[in-house]
Amino acid sequence: MRLIYPHVLRLRTVIALAAVIGAALLAGCGSSSSTTSAAPGSGGSSSASATTASSGGGGSSGGSTDTSKCGTKPGVKATGTPINIGTIDTKQPGTDFSDGPNMITAYYNCVNANGGVNGHPVHLFVQYDQTQPAQIAAAAKQLIQTDHVVGIVGVFDLLECTIDQGYWKQLGIYEMGAGIAPECWSTPNSAAVNMGPRYSSDGAVQYGLTQHPAKIVFVQSNVPGTGYIAAGPKALADAQHVPITELTENVPINDANSVALDLVNKAGSNGWVVLNFTPPEALVILQAAQKLGLEDRVKGWGCSTPCNTDFLASSLGARWNHKLFVNAELTSPDDHNGPEMQLYKAILKQYGSAVAGGLGSFSEMGYLLGKFSVDALEKVKGPYTMQSVNAAFKNIKDEKTELICQPWVYGNYPLHIPNNSDFTTTPDNGKMVTAQGCTPISAADPQIAQYRSAAGSAPSTNPPTG
Amino acid sequence: MKTEASAPAAETAATSQGSALAAARAGRRLEPRSMVRPAVIAALLACVLLFVPSIFSLYYVDAWTQVAIYSIVTLGLGLLVGRVGMVSLGQGAVLAMGAWVSARLLFATGLPFPLVLLAGGLITMVLGTLVGLPALRMSGLYLALITLMLAGAITVVLQNINFPNGGHGFTGYNASTVHIPPIRRPAIAASDPAFFRYSVVVAILMFLLVLVHLRGRPGRAWAAIRQSEAASLAGGINTTLFKLWAFALASFITGIAGGLVAGSFRYLNSLTFSTADSITLLAVVLMGGAYSMTGAIVAAFLLKFLQALLNDWGVSPDWLTILFGIGVLQVLTTAPRGIVEQMPKDLARLGRLIRGLLGRPTTTRESAE
Amino acid sequence: MPSTTDLEQFLVTGLSLGGVYALSGVGMVVLYRATGVLYLAFGAVGAMGALIAWQLSHQDGWNIWLSFAVAILFGGVITLVYGIIFGPALAGRDPLVKATATLGLLLILLGVMDLLWPSSGGASRSLTMPTDNNTFQVGQISVTYTNVIALALGLVITVVTAAFLRFTKLGTAMRAMANDREITAALGVPVRRVEAAAWFGCGVLSGVAGVLLADLVALDSTSLTFLVISTLAATLVGRLRSIVVTFVAALVIGLITAELTPVSSLSNYRDMTPFVVAAIALLVLNRRRVIMVGRQGV
Repeated sequence: MRLIYPHVLRLRTVIALAAVIGAALLAGCGSSSSTTSAAPGSGGSSSASATTASSGGGGSSGGSTDTSKCGTKPGVKATGTPINIGTIDTKQPGTDFSDGPNMITAYYNCVNANGGVNGHPVHLFVQYDQTQPAQIAAAAKQLIQTDHVVGIVGVFDLLECTIDQGYWKQLGIYEMGAGIAPECWSTPNSAAVNMGPRYSSDGAVQYGLTQHPAKIVFVQSNVPGTGYIAAGPKALADAQHVPITELTENVPINDANSVALDLVNKAGSNGWVVLNFTPPEALVILQAAQKLGLEDRVKGWGCSTPCNTDFLASSLGARWNHKLFVNAELTSPDDHNGPEMQLYKAILKQYGSAVAGGLGSFSEMGYLLGKFSVDALEKVKGPYTMQSVNAAFKNIKDEKTELICQPWVYGNYPLHIPNNSDFTTTPDNGKMVTAQGCTPISAADPQIAQYRSAAGSAPSTNPPTG
Repeated sequence: MKTEASAPAAETAATSQGSALAAARAGRRLEPRSMVRPAVIAALLACVLLFVPSIFSLYYVDAWTQVAIYSIVTLGLGLLVGRVGMVSLGQGAVLAMGAWVSARLLFATGLPFPLVLLAGGLITMVLGTLVGLPALRMSGLYLALITLMLAGAITVVLQNINFPNGGHGFTGYNASTVHIPPIRRPAIAASDPAFFRYSVVVAILMFLLVLVHLRGRPGRAWAAIRQSEAASLAGGINTTLFKLWAFALASFITGIAGGLVAGSFRYLNSLTFSTADSITLLAVVLMGGAYSMTGAIVAAFLLKFLQALLNDWGVSPDWLTILFGIGVLQVLTTAPRGIVEQMPKDLARLGRLIRGLLGRPTTTRESAE
Repeated sequence: MPSTTDLEQFLVTGLSLGGVYALSGVGMVVLYRATGVLYLAFGAVGAMGALIAWQLSHQDGWNIWLSFAVAILFGGVITLVYGIIFGPALAGRDPLVKATATLGLLLILLGVMDLLWPSSGGASRSLTMPTDNNTFQVGQISVTYTNVIALALGLVITVVTAAFLRFTKLGTAMRAMANDREITAALGVPVRRVEAAAWFGCGVLSGVAGVLLADLVALDSTSLTFLVISTLAATLVGRLRSIVVTFVAALVIGLITAELTPVSSLSNYRDMTPFVVAAIALLVLNRRRVIMVGRQGV
């Protein structure tokens, strides 16, 4: 009832309130004034400015590999008018995808320090969201109207593809990213570097089917779009006449032991369990299975691409060696060291101090998106407008890279599944090693069949070297 | 919730800093209800409606839309907490329920948007009241806990049945759909600035609805219940009826806000609503000040505008969570009326401090707390 | 649909989770009885302790048991500090206000945890106890020593606390304070010291629960923070007074949740178990007018 330290706390309130009011006024002024200025390199986007600062410090200390290969004029700072690129990314407690955009910014900073794109620096404007649809729609408008971005690259988001599709279509924007929502793979205006939950689950089920199990049990997190994802594995299992049980689990999982037990019971001793979860949830289920000694109670375990981390392999231990088979959409940076992988690592080291997770799938995808977009921008003749830039993005084809199984292509298709050939990894004493080389996802999945008939080519495979 | 003895003097609707200061100076004496204040408020609202969409970018227009919508939610919760002394930890779930019902109606029927809002509000009112019914006879802490339980349960149910996305059947959810149609908006408010104005108008109507209740018999009954439930029972007030009434009113306006959420978000998703929302809602309501209607606006500002601002600046939303935590502790220990009451006093104190620093003699008068 | 062997298998996982809920519930009930504070930040404090233990053992190379000890100590200390600062400040207020204030601590810890241990780059953490690797078989079912520890700790702490409250001077003081703080103080009981003991004890239990749940459930700040709701359900059944009823309710909640897993029609709704159990219990208690209208323990 009586107060404690009232004066101290009051003063703090005053300061806090003054800050709040000032901030509100600033936001109003800032947004109205910045519509007229392009704000080159200014703090329009904080993460961009944060990494710009870090790149300045790291400029002199070169890593083992030369990063100057990212640009066309080594060591020459780009000074032209900036090309503004935008992105929207999920960042909320428990789901933080900021490593993706941070790696793209690192790549752009590398390019900007080495000649830029035809002399122009590239800037990434990042908008974060907390999976609130209104916020995501507003962020898209902010990027276009306030930040004047000419292209959308690097959307790492749970919902963005669903919400902004109509807006992008209306503006003629062709976005590139690494998404989750079904619309990232099923509309003309979006192409992803990742395989996404459906096709990655396809890959994991496809590998399981090669081992001739009596049954497949496919389980995924109970989030919107489960029916779309589950349709792929079902089509694959049906094509081989293997019975499949499809389950969903509420996340976060509160009783992993029960879940693991239930999966094993449903699969039976000759069955194959395939998980499609985020890394923490998948790890929780697999660890529970290990604790209860269930890993040998089924014929084998599969997992979609999020499981493909050494972290998971080392957390699980030797009992899972060649027992768990993970679909991998990206080449592992640990056992591959070709020139491109070296460049990726060097850029990450020199410019990527903001990439909290370091080496890994998020920064690999960020690297790919940075590279694809810069390659496309270099081909633009004349001014960088929304029209010219998006035409260039759409024309991306035959982007050969060590980091994924097949050349990446955007193209003018009604749907885009450019990453549809993958390999399979398995834990081996704390590391993920390759169990099966690049294999195209079966066209038994009707979406894959539709894409291949539209894109017109069987996937040409460039197996990862090293 | 027991606090200082004096009930809050009328709605010190201080919509700007300046008038807040003036209101604070008017402080202890009762203000005459002249026509000046409503006129000032109306003029201010007209300015908001006209100028916010033109001076702010669409990003911030959306933030202000969310402030308008969530001010209805915080108004409802503030009514329960401040006027009746019932703490609900389940308002986030009630809002999600309202959004679900409205979205279902918007997909299933061609009803005009205002009718859907009304129907959504009424259905949410019935559901929310059913939820509160058994809890009403319990003391404050038990009511808070049972609403927290129900919030958890509703979150689980919504996660399983999902939000309508144009599918068929009772749930209206099609798990396999690839091209989800957006939830429709009223024809007159299809664009974002128009929907902002629409939301503000609906919010004003809800504030007026609550105001009418507060000025009438329910308001007097609630004030009596908050002072002492036993005494009001002895004084012949049907406490259960009026507590239920408050619950129903709060659920109704929260349901309306849910309809606006559906129209504003256009795509609803179980990822969008979480159990933690209800706790954050209570935090901002306490910080804003549960005892005044202006507090509801401040609370919605803290919740939605600050979030948009921090995102724009690239500041982690975690700082906002921490701020809300500190705010709850500060409000409960030192400033039970929240920012609305606290800010004028603090500003006055700051003014005196500055004047003191400038060397002018001041009359240091400690405000009674 | 599920057979008896199914039910037996899920018994172990249900009982071990129930055991942790029970020891958490006992901590919360003891603190509530001694100070009138329903400690809603219990789960958040435990979660932060577990994350600290992960940091020390997995990043800084500490001995795992030593880092568990630090986690448990952290729980005790932060709870005690909160109690010392905000206990007296809110001492005369309604239990509702006291409980709401702990939500402030919950939010602060939640924000701090996410800042210090972000989930960027798909990072996932896990904290496993060495006892996970030792299993034994009971019939068809394999049981880890962690399961045994969880259930045993729940049982031991319930029994010890009940005895402590009944037979020791400090325990009697706590029980007296639950009835009337002012009179107890007037009788010469060192109220502040008794309260401090309750705060510290509750905090230690939150640390223990945090470490156990990080192993049994997941090392994730949000899920560990909100698991407190399951515990709350158990304490509600015990009307925030009875330790024994809380213990039984916790086990029942754990068991029902686990046994519903193989039932396909209800499996996805099993997370509702604590809420449903609490709601039914409250309705029954309410029917019997056990819970009085009006404010309690002001």
